[in-house]
Amino acid sequence: MVKTIIDAHNISKIYDKKMVPIMALQDVHLHIEEGEFVALVGPSGSGKSTLLNMIGGLDDPTNGSVIVDGVEITKLRENKLIDFRLRNIGFVFQSFNLIPVLTAKENIGFVLQLQNVSKKEREKRVMELLHQVGLEDKENSKPGELSGGQQQRVAVARALASKPKIILADEPTANLDTKAAENLLDIMAKLNKEEKITFLFSTHDARVIKKARRVITLVDGKVDSDVQQIPD
Amino acid sequence: MLLQISWRNIWRNKTRSFVVICSIIIGLWAGIFILAFAWGLYQNNIDDTVYRQLSHIQIHNPLFTKENESKYTISNSDEILQKLQSNKNVASVSSRVITLGMISSPTNASGIKIFGINPLVEKTQIVLNENVRQGAYFETGKENEILIGEKLAKKLKIKLKSKVVLTFTNIDNEIITAAFRVGGLYRSKNISLDEVNVYVQKNELVNLLGLQDSESNEIAILLKNEEQLDSMKIFSSSLVPKGKVEDWKTLSPELGMVIESFNLYTYIITGIILLALTFGIVNTMLMSVLERFRELGMLMAIGLNKSKIFVMILLETLYLTLMGCPIGLLIGWLSVNFFEKHGINISMFSEGLAAYGFSSIIYTSLDNQKYMIVAIMYFITALLSAIYPAYKALQLNPSEAIRKI
Repeated sequence: MVKTIIDAHNISKIYDKKMVPIMALQDVHLHIEEGEFVALVGPSGSGKSTLLNMIGGLDDPTNGSVIVDGVEITKLRENKLIDFRLRNIGFVFQSFNLIPVLTAKENIGFVLQLQNVSKKEREKRVMELLHQVGLEDKENSKPGELSGGQQQRVAVARALASKPKIILADEPTANLDTKAAENLLDIMAKLNKEEKITFLFSTHDARVIKKARRVITLVDGKVDSDVQQIPD
Repeated sequence: MLLQISWRNIWRNKTRSFVVICSIIIGLWAGIFILAFAWGLYQNNIDDTVYRQLSHIQIHNPLFTKENESKYTISNSDEILQKLQSNKNVASVSSRVITLGMISSPTNASGIKIFGINPLVEKTQIVLNENVRQGAYFETGKENEILIGEKLAKKLKIKLKSKVVLTFTNIDNEIITAAFRVGGLYRSKNISLDEVNVYVQKNELVNLLGLQDSESNEIAILLKNEEQLDSMKIFSSSLVPKGKVEDWKTLSPELGMVIESFNLYTYIITGIILLALTFGIVNTMLMSVLERFRELGMLMAIGLNKSKIFVMILLETLYLTLMGCPIGLLIGWLSVNFFEKHGINISMFSEGLAAYGFSSIIYTSLDNQKYMIVAIMYFITALLSAIYPAYKALQLNPSEAIRKI
């Protein structure tokens, strides 16, 4: 039986900007099963990033609830939520967002260190992940010494470090050239297929949309369409 | 992990870190130096007061201190002097006869305090001979020789070898007038006293006042070590049970007031330096936090909790402080030691300071405990300064921070 990994009910988010309420999300229902490879698409300002933030517990919805792997994260206290995120959700951001003072190896190991994983185990896992994203030879390079695509691959490896059930990626290919974007998508698709990790990513990129098996379209903070497709 | 990230973070902007470290160094050095200068000033002032004016302990007839009349004496002062001289803690002891009177020159007159002293003993007691600027220190052997301050001489419009007339009352309340010849002009570091105190030979004043040879109004005791002050006060009281035994702190309360007011200035200046340091660190660390908003948001998103973010910012300041403090301490210690040996010439202010009894060359002085106190104060201030920037980091909403450009 397929397990529900993300269950969002009636999510609304209203931002109060200069006393003018802006409805970023309106009664969004979302149901994602374990191992899905989902693209969240829509025009700018449609609420893609806001929805990802709600699912990732980075922001609170004004109304509604988010249940991730059976845990209602909208009810968790801050420290519990951080811990839950650390163990269950991996993030890949649009602008790479690596720690600039740490090497690729240290950036990936950082998440494991937060989980108090032993040094030996950590090193083993980091090398595995670097191998998975094809950056074994860049282990001691700092983000400034890596290309955009390489940085994003390190970010994916970091997101995978704690063996999360879900990876949330906000416009992961937005700053990458075609080759780097395709390379990253291949890695993500391979991880999804082989390790059954659920991927939910927001994107404008047609190349990414083609790789998804399910495409959810948001318009003005509402789910406009939700279709299954055969990926390229 | 946090230690490593914080350490590397401070080297992301080397210039900024260098500026913070320098401000800690300069702040700490300035704090140490101001304290050392102030302590040097006080110490100098205390030494002058003790070794050139009062001595450590003085014994008087209680009525003399109250009425200021020379008839109130310590009757067996010679015997007491002998006993004090034989005490191993005593460096020097002298007896004086004192009366208030008037000094007159052909053109002017002034109220004075006349000290009848034993010139030989006072050479070691208050080293009055070293203050003589013109003439000699009781070397003519003549009994009517008087030593007066340069400032008083100027006021009376008299010179060396001029004749002056002293007028005072003897123990029978009769007016005594006696002519003296100025044998020497002195200048001490306390100009206000120079205008009042005059010195004549004790025997001569004893005769004029009608006292006995063994009588005196004041016994001054100079100790080898100030630590013996309390025990020697007890010993002195046992020798003169009815006498009033006072130490220099009681005898010169104005010195305490001057020190207190200078202490206040020192604390104010140190406070201003600490405040400047605080603003410097708050400003720098706040800048460092604000420009890393997105990165801090990302750290929160991937699992670093707020307390760790707070600790990380504090650690960054701690590292900068740990680098700045030892260097500031070392430079402070070196400069204090240098000026402890060579002194700081403040002669351009010395006339004003001399009015308060301060010397024109200040030898800085600071004990080890104060170095530690100042260093700990700066250390704590630096860490406290980091609390606001760290608190600002805690206000972050990760989702908003990540979106910041």
